[in-house]
Amino acid sequence: MRGMTHGMLRGAVSILPLAFGAALYGFAFGLLAAQVGFPWWGVGLMSASVHAGSSQIVAVEQLAATGTVLGAVLAGVALNLRYVGIVASLADVLDGLPLRVRLIAIHITGDENWALTMAERAKSPDVGAAFLMGSGLVMISVWTASTALGAVIGAVLPDLERFGLGFAFTAAFIAMARGLWRGRSRALPWAVAAGATIAAISLGAPRAYGIVAGALCGLVAISLMRRTRAAAP
Amino acid sequence: MSGAHWAMIGLLALGAAAIRVAGLVAGGRIRSSRHAWMLEDLPGLIVVSLVASSLIGQPLPTWLAAGVALVIAVVTNHVIATMAAGVLAFAGLTWLGL
Repeated sequence: MRGMTHGMLRGAVSILPLAFGAALYGFAFGLLAAQVGFPWWGVGLMSASVHAGSSQIVAVEQLAATGTVLGAVLAGVALNLRYVGIVASLADVLDGLPLRVRLIAIHITGDENWALTMAERAKSPDVGAAFLMGSGLVMISVWTASTALGAVIGAVLPDLERFGLGFAFTAAFIAMARGLWRGRSRALPWAVAAGATIAAISLGAPRAYGIVAGALCGLVAISLMRRTRAAAP
Repeated sequence: MSGAHWAMIGLLALGAAAIRVAGLVAGGRIRSSRHAWMLEDLPGLIVVSLVASSLIGQPLPTWLAAGVALVIAVVTNHVIATMAAGVLAFAGLTWLGL
């Protein structure tokens, strides 16, 4: 129990810089959602129950543009498909936990706390479900509060990109990729994944589909490498 | 809040949950199959794809700042140090008007 608390606390503290960045995006999303007619508590309810930033943003934009609920929901849900892979990769981390705890853990899992957990776990195997849940609780709390607050305040935020906020996330993911690096044998599949993502987005695919396509192409590359190695004399 | 707003929140929450549960089921199945290696490789591939999707279409300073972040990440293997160095490089390069 003490180990669990310590792990959760460690995760909660480690995610704080990323949570700060997410809060600024949360404010901006809350403002957008308020303009589409969501009250502040509705925005908070959506953030707590959906907990998928990009999905929420796209769905609300689509609702504003088209006025149709089903189309907006489908666009938002489709953007979230990478979570099949993200949650699947947590199988070892969540192994042995009761089902209700696993369901809570996957609900509070987002890009940032998942990637940080996997990167830290690659360095230190004692990082696991407690770290994931501690960091996840901070992220969902900050996301819910900041989006609701954005809807209340409704203030016009400065251009976040100008201050390098978007790039802060990119830099964080670069560091997490470094933590997940498993030797030169993965250079080719990683290059395939990056190349396929760039190709898909360049051809007009939405960013979220590009990520799914990239990860799938990387898996195919590793599978082919494994077969070639197995067939070698 | 109108019925449409309620419907959107409910359906979006249902869709997001269904995708996460599908991942949970898939993870369990893959883990006990001959494709278990995928679970070890998937995180790196998704993170690399996330980075690539953030860089595509960005101007030169962003790519240069990403290069700086990569060097710091390789040297330090530390998330906060990489974020700080990356944002500083991004701000510096943008300020220089590159």
